[in-house]
Amino acid sequence: MELSNYYTKIWLRLSGAFCLLITVPMVILALVTFSNLKDAVIDKTELSIGRLIEHKKDVVSLFLEEKEDLLKILVGMYPIDFLGNQENLNTLFKAVNQAGSIVDLHVIDSSGSQLAYVGPYAKSITGKNYFDAPWFQEVLINGSHVSDVFLGFRKVPHFVVAVTDPLKSYVLRATINSETFNKLLLSAQIGPSGDSFIVNREGTLQTPSSQGQKELTVHDKTLLEHHEGTAITKTGETITATRWVKDGQWCLFVKARIEDSLGPFYQNRRNIISVIAATGISFLVLAILFSNYFLRRLELYDRKRAELGGTMVQMEKMATVGRMAAGIAHEINNPLQMITNQAGWIGELLPDEDPALVKNMDEYVKSVEQIKHHVRRAGTITHRLLGFSRKIASEKQNVQFNDLIEETISFVETEAGYNNISIIRHYAEDLPTTMADGPQLQQVFLNLINNAIDAVDQGGIIEITTATGTSNDIILEFADSGPGIKPENLKQIFDPFFTTKDPGKGTGLGLYISYDIVQKLGGSIKVENRKSGGAVFAIVLPVIKQG
Amino acid sequence: MREFNVLVVDDEEEFRDLTVKRLEKRGLKVLGAESGKQALEVLEHSHTDVVLLDVKMPGMDGIETLRQIRILKPLVEVVLLTGHASVDSGIEGMKLGAFDYLMKPIELEPLIEKLADAFERKRLQQEKIEQAQMKRHMAMPG
Repeated sequence: MELSNYYTKIWLRLSGAFCLLITVPMVILALVTFSNLKDAVIDKTELSIGRLIEHKKDVVSLFLEEKEDLLKILVGMYPIDFLGNQENLNTLFKAVNQAGSIVDLHVIDSSGSQLAYVGPYAKSITGKNYFDAPWFQEVLINGSHVSDVFLGFRKVPHFVVAVTDPLKSYVLRATINSETFNKLLLSAQIGPSGDSFIVNREGTLQTPSSQGQKELTVHDKTLLEHHEGTAITKTGETITATRWVKDGQWCLFVKARIEDSLGPFYQNRRNIISVIAATGISFLVLAILFSNYFLRRLELYDRKRAELGGTMVQMEKMATVGRMAAGIAHEINNPLQMITNQAGWIGELLPDEDPALVKNMDEYVKSVEQIKHHVRRAGTITHRLLGFSRKIASEKQNVQFNDLIEETISFVETEAGYNNISIIRHYAEDLPTTMADGPQLQQVFLNLINNAIDAVDQGGIIEITTATGTSNDIILEFADSGPGIKPENLKQIFDPFFTTKDPGKGTGLGLYISYDIVQKLGGSIKVENRKSGGAVFAIVLPVIKQG
Repeated sequence: MREFNVLVVDDEEEFRDLTVKRLEKRGLKVLGAESGKQALEVLEHSHTDVVLLDVKMPGMDGIETLRQIRILKPLVEVVLLTGHASVDSGIEGMKLGAFDYLMKPIELEPLIEKLADAFERKRLQQEKIEQAQMKRHMAMPG
């Protein structure tokens, strides 16, 4: 529980770090991109609004100049007598007003009274004198005039263009159709909430605002200051372009709401966000997968290290125990020698006694023999512990394990047969030979096979496998179908004097000696319980070439 | 059994004396020595066929004593006996020409057998030498 908590913590930290590492730069990148994109869109809007207002200015100026020029041409071509004639004026009006942009034409003499009129408002303006009208005065002074929009006598918004002849003997005045003029600005709208209109110097609207604005806002008024060319100001959500036209009498306004032009930006932003989200999620999945992988490796590594540590501990323990056992055996051998000497001495002296005087002669003789017998038993154990029963100098020969094991099996096969135990061989045919101490290893094999026979019941199975290992070694496995080894015994199974057999039946030295022999030959021996039941002893020995 | 002379070298008095007594009872001529040094002295002054030598002794140890014996009396056979020494010292002893290596506890019968084997070898060696000497005398009469 403790351990899995530890791994969970590592996992959380690892995947968390990965996620942050991936998402933070991506989010920053996205935010910067959004900001840049938005700026670009605004810049583009400003650019197009600037172009548009320039164009509209040209259109408006052209329209006014055209009207003014037309009137000037008429005035230059025809004398007052001709224009003052109603009939002539009617003909002329029809000829010049095919587009319908002129509502009516006035011919007024220098005293302000009408000479002729053609147009729909003849009745309402008949007999009016214009001498006092400001526009009339201005025409007489400047030679031409374009008025602001006003209601005038006819109560309909209109503006007039008026010119006088070089002698200033009369004035020709045209009323311009407001609608025609207004239409000029209609196409100057950017986006659904854009606006365009013209105001005069006082800020009065000359054309209607398409957004229904009746008068200038406080902010708009600050833009009315005279300036050359186009001025573009950005306030909050609106970009306003202003341009003075008609010699600084009128100011053209074009407005665009930034929001309207952000449509493509929002589309882009949605695309980017979905791409980032998709990338983020796949990276997240990758991060989690990688963390999982890393953690599994870590766990594996930890486990291997623990196992290795365990093996080292086991080897150290065996070495210590071995030294201790040898030391004790040495110390015991001397007293044993004295015991057998003394008992032997008694045994030798007894025959000298007079049998008639020694009542229990037979008992003494028997007792001496028993003492010697038990010293022999103890001596066997200490000798085995010291490895004295093994050859003093181990002789290494080229050994073929398949043959050696087969030979060993032949020693026990009869006994196994009595108990109906079958021994199954899985020999690797191409098993290499190696330099090793054959007789000593045979003792090991005998120990393992005998243990296996003891472990399985009647009809049990012993499986012996030989195989070539991956790192120039040989693997020998002795498996049995017995009950296996209890987990608590696994750790001390190789300890000297450790036995699970009945008292007196085993010395507990077989596996210890086997371990010692294999260890001294540069190999290793391990035991584990098979999943399919029973125990398996695995010996790994290095392949050593002769030479 | 053929009668021969044995020298028992062991620092432990109880073991030494008892072994001497028991071997004498079997009809051998036995002397005891409590150290390597004393053993060498005894060898110098009396006839000895086989030495039973304890490997672990204070002062001059068995292996060193063995080395000295081989120099002093090359024909004398030595049987090593120990309860303490490691297998390695046994191997070294054999290399130095000991007849065999015995481990305590050992009963008297096998010990005597081993000593007798050793004496037999000594006897054979001596015979060969005598024959060789005889051949030499015959080849060089006068």
